[in-house]
Amino acid sequence: MIRFPTDLAQAAGSDGEIRAGATDLAERRRTMAGEGPLVDLRDVAEARNIEVAADGRTRIGALVTIAALAHDEHVSGGYPGLAQAAGGLATPQIRAVGTVGGNLLQHTRCWYYRAPEAECFKKGGAMCSARKGDHLWHACVELGPCASVHASTLGMALLAYDARIDIVGATMRTVADLYGDGSDPTAHNALPPGAVLRGIEIDPPRRGERSVYLRATSRARAEWPLVEVLVRIGVEAGVIAWAKVAVGAVAGVPLRLPQVEAALVGAPAQAEALVAIAALAREGTAPLPMTAYTVDLLEGVVADALERALVADPVGGS
Amino acid sequence: MTGETTRRGFLRTGVGAALATGACRPTLPVERSADLESAPGVDSTSRVRVDTNLNGQPRAFDVAPDDSSLDVVRATGLTGAKHGCGHGACGACTMMLDEVPVVTCLLPATALHGRRVRTVEGLAAGGALHPIQRAFMAEDALQCGYCTPGFVVEAAAFYDRWRAEHGETEPSRDDVAAALAGHLCRCGAYAAIYRAVQRACTGQLDPGEPAARIDARDKVTGQAVYTVDVRLPGMLFAKALHAPWAHARVRRLDWSKALALPGVRGVVDLLGPAKLVRHAGQQILAIAAVDEATALRAVALVEIDVDVLPALLTVETALAPGAAPIYPRGDRADLPNATEGPLLPERWDGNRRGPLELLSKRGDKANRAIEEARSIGVVADGTFHTQVQCHTALEPHAAVAAWDTDKRLTVYLSTQAVHSTAQDLAQRYGLRDDAVRVIAQHVGGGFGAKATLQNEAIIAVELARVCGAPVRYALDRRMELMLGGNRPGSTIEVALATDRAGELVGMRATATSTAGTAVGTVTTILFRIIYPKAPRALSDLDVVTHAPPGKPFRGPGGPPAFFALEQTVDALAHARGEDPLVVRRRWDPNPARRPLYGWAESIPTWRDRGPAGGDSGRYRRGVGVACGAWFAFVEPRSRVQLESTPDGLVASSATQDIGNGVRTTIAQLIAARFGLAITEVFVRIGESNFVHGPMAGGSRTTSSIVGPCEDACDQLQAELVDVASRRWRLRDAEPSRDGVAHAGGVIPWRDIFRIAPKLVVVGHRARDKGGYFLPPIEGAAAERYVSGSLQITQVEVDARLGKVRVLESWLGLGVGRIVSPVLARSQAEGGVIQGIGYALYEERRLDPRAGYLLTAGLEDYRIPGIGDIGPIHVHFDERGYEKVPGHNVGLGELVTLTPAAAIANAIFNATKWRPDALPIRPDRVLEGLRR
Repeated sequence: MIRFPTDLAQAAGSDGEIRAGATDLAERRRTMAGEGPLVDLRDVAEARNIEVAADGRTRIGALVTIAALAHDEHVSGGYPGLAQAAGGLATPQIRAVGTVGGNLLQHTRCWYYRAPEAECFKKGGAMCSARKGDHLWHACVELGPCASVHASTLGMALLAYDARIDIVGATMRTVADLYGDGSDPTAHNALPPGAVLRGIEIDPPRRGERSVYLRATSRARAEWPLVEVLVRIGVEAGVIAWAKVAVGAVAGVPLRLPQVEAALVGAPAQAEALVAIAALAREGTAPLPMTAYTVDLLEGVVADALERALVADPVGGS
Repeated sequence: MTGETTRRGFLRTGVGAALATGACRPTLPVERSADLESAPGVDSTSRVRVDTNLNGQPRAFDVAPDDSSLDVVRATGLTGAKHGCGHGACGACTMMLDEVPVVTCLLPATALHGRRVRTVEGLAAGGALHPIQRAFMAEDALQCGYCTPGFVVEAAAFYDRWRAEHGETEPSRDDVAAALAGHLCRCGAYAAIYRAVQRACTGQLDPGEPAARIDARDKVTGQAVYTVDVRLPGMLFAKALHAPWAHARVRRLDWSKALALPGVRGVVDLLGPAKLVRHAGQQILAIAAVDEATALRAVALVEIDVDVLPALLTVETALAPGAAPIYPRGDRADLPNATEGPLLPERWDGNRRGPLELLSKRGDKANRAIEEARSIGVVADGTFHTQVQCHTALEPHAAVAAWDTDKRLTVYLSTQAVHSTAQDLAQRYGLRDDAVRVIAQHVGGGFGAKATLQNEAIIAVELARVCGAPVRYALDRRMELMLGGNRPGSTIEVALATDRAGELVGMRATATSTAGTAVGTVTTILFRIIYPKAPRALSDLDVVTHAPPGKPFRGPGGPPAFFALEQTVDALAHARGEDPLVVRRRWDPNPARRPLYGWAESIPTWRDRGPAGGDSGRYRRGVGVACGAWFAFVEPRSRVQLESTPDGLVASSATQDIGNGVRTTIAQLIAARFGLAITEVFVRIGESNFVHGPMAGGSRTTSSIVGPCEDACDQLQAELVDVASRRWRLRDAEPSRDGVAHAGGVIPWRDIFRIAPKLVVVGHRARDKGGYFLPPIEGAAAERYVSGSLQITQVEVDARLGKVRVLESWLGLGVGRIVSPVLARSQAEGGVIQGIGYALYEERRLDPRAGYLLTAGLEDYRIPGIGDIGPIHVHFDERGYEKVPGHNVGLGELVTLTPAAAIANAIFNATKWRPDALPIRPDRVLEGLRR
């Protein structure tokens, strides 16, 4: 069974899995025994644009492709970190068809979730196989019984932008709401059943903002991050005036690092000072036996991103 | 069969390897569906009409909601785009959707509605190749060619974009890497792909530039046919039931519901009389049906009751007191063989086999020397761990079998050995040798894992027989990574001692390896072939576990051995305060490698390297060196048949091109003798019924084929001279490159082809002068030579994020005369690249408790991408080997032995930390730098 609704209101509340770019779903249906009904958004005309309101707020439709987001001039000019994050994830071919909504709502890449042999909370099981098994690429922050990390780079990036979300069929306000607190081991996100994501809204670009996206990987390209970070800072008179720091691949949901943000405000805009503050990223981590290194990487990518942000081009010119 | 060899060849214990439980039985239990042959498959889903435009033509398709664009397009006969990984990581399936490259394995066919699709077949507009296609041909930017259509489509899109925006400016390597980041090449053609894309963009390509490889055009246009592309009328599709358990006894196996499903035609039971599952993924049975979806549904209907038994998954648990033997006494015949040579009889102790101490010599003296040197000389020692590496060729193990009658069998097989797999099939099914035809026109990589008769062939053959129709069976990527083959993991303890003068006075190495349910891993004998003079105590132990079996992998035992040995040599040089090249040169008697030391010393990056740990910042650079050595094998029975016809020359041999380029080598050798272009020699290989040709294994292909080609040319030219002399009454006629030279001039060969009757000669390979080191054992003779290599690599270590980047590599090779310099360079670059993967990224990981595969796709099983390699320089020293016909030995394995060791030594030079475990992951680097 497959339906092709022509708008998102028709898609909302319907029985079946929503299919947009299918870059996650297609493989899951093939390997994880999914043959249930499909709601394919191919013929939906809305939610395919990036729109800028008169006051500068930016709306990104859920069906905008990741490549379009990465290459959009308004986005790369006003939200360079977001554009870097979009351009830095997956591969060119995946970015060409994968959508913003699909990226936010994708399922975990945990190898136990993907292994047909494995028991897993997210597949209706009663345990996390990774926790007692091999969790080399798993969480270093404990939020709940599931040890996997969330895979959405854009979710992490948009968390740093305090993005609001627009949902058909439910009321949710922010990207943080979309993911919840990570305590439910069965969930990939907190989107209510039947609800459909329509888009994202971000506050107007902040003049002078410097932002950087970074991921730690073993290979040069095309690899899921070991840890990733998006840093946004404002510098005034040689001092950090404000800071937003989000990190991904460390927990079941993307996280902000409030302790780092608080320490940054008022700190001198000098590399050494910022690198010292990056050590605060370790606070609150509780690595599994095999993931202690990701805490080092977490401190490392935060330090690296802060250093780079100092010399990044400010939004709107300097 | 006559001749100097036995029927079985090196690398020929495969039926036992893949099918330990059924190996001795001529056939397996099978059952045929009572259903009428016309029954359609299960169609539980709605169909969707899709109107699209395919390569400029309007097309309508009737598709299921979950059909992939790839499958739908391939079903039209456009099989250029390939199924590689099935999850968008390798890019082999790339097509353009409205001129934008996308991965079509993940793209639903319904998404094609109202869009334009362009495949590699549609790239050459009006027959004129795209500049990128020509550049890939000219630069030899491909080997097996399986990933090539995907790369070509993506690179063409990049080229068009780049030229529109930048004109003839050369894109940087980083620009190219960013564009091609979604493509993986297992052969490692990346170095040439950079050259091809960069040159094409600058517009420097000469339109008429010839291809280095005779079949390059077929590969860049998607015309090359691989086993997975074969479609026969009435062909059925088989799927297997794989065990999710590492160890279990099957109590009940009932496939009656599966067989009753409409569209299902037959089943074969692969379990064997012991009813035992010995590793996860093991094929329990296979079912043939009218389409893949029906076969998969049928597999899901099989009922199976098992007793799950304790799984021994690590060396520690397998050797623990009281651990049950995985192979009890009496059950140790025909075990899966993880190495190239025959299995020698060895002692068993529970799950431990060995030790093998074959090449130890004066072991006691070595041990004494090591103890003495601790006070009066220098000792370096260490323990090194290497991981399990998967072959994961991009074309999976695949077979299509068809029986003409009960007595004639044709099998399209993705194999490295058409000749011997056909013989093995004939033997297994009691057929005459000439009644079995194995065909492999193009093979999408093998690397040692496709050298024997294995389950994919058995499944297709058995089911084709019981169903009375052709059957296709191929592994998916998950099972390719699980069952397709792997390089065993090893732990190697090494101690080397020098006296005061720096002479090597003792070597000790003890290796414990595990190839899962396979045995035969040998690593330490390689210490002997590189530093043969010193007293040595060398010992190899196998430990069997309930993990999927290892198979011979390009240079079996080599990369782990040299990782351990060449780092210990480096440590010894460091301890002595000597240049590591000076130390090696002192110990090294091999004439193949000795000239390489001078070459290495001339490399400025090596000369100008700093002291170990000289860098202290975040990014630390270092340079490392490692040497390698490999055996020289030849298949003396190899033949080449050469025919002259009025249209030209036709050469044939029952060998196969797995990306090594033998089709080109044959053409090139013959073309050179007759003054022709390589495309003017028609080469027929990839069929078992041609004259005996070498298997692609043991680095033997080129050294086996040169002699027969030369001999065939000699014979044919003599015949043609004779024909011409009689026809034109020539005086003093003799062959020359351009034709028959005689007192009155030269008659071109082409003129003689036209008037001569059809002539057929068969060229043989002469013995090496002075004979062989070992006479042909199972088809392959070991020559009296050890090939030599030397690699220099520069790396950069990011001390903050634990990342190691290979900046540049130099590989020197002493393998004698290079027949095809461009192809030899390609293979050498590919070996370095596979070695980079082994050193830094690749690692099979199983669930530690249940033994199933975690790194089950090409996202989690991480092979190098185009951005990971750095420039690679290949140097050939062509001297030596005068007593070998053709004056050369193989290089296919030699080229991948040294990268891990060279990289590790470079990391030591950069950081003063010595990696003792592979792969050198970020977590290990961070931990190492803290020490």
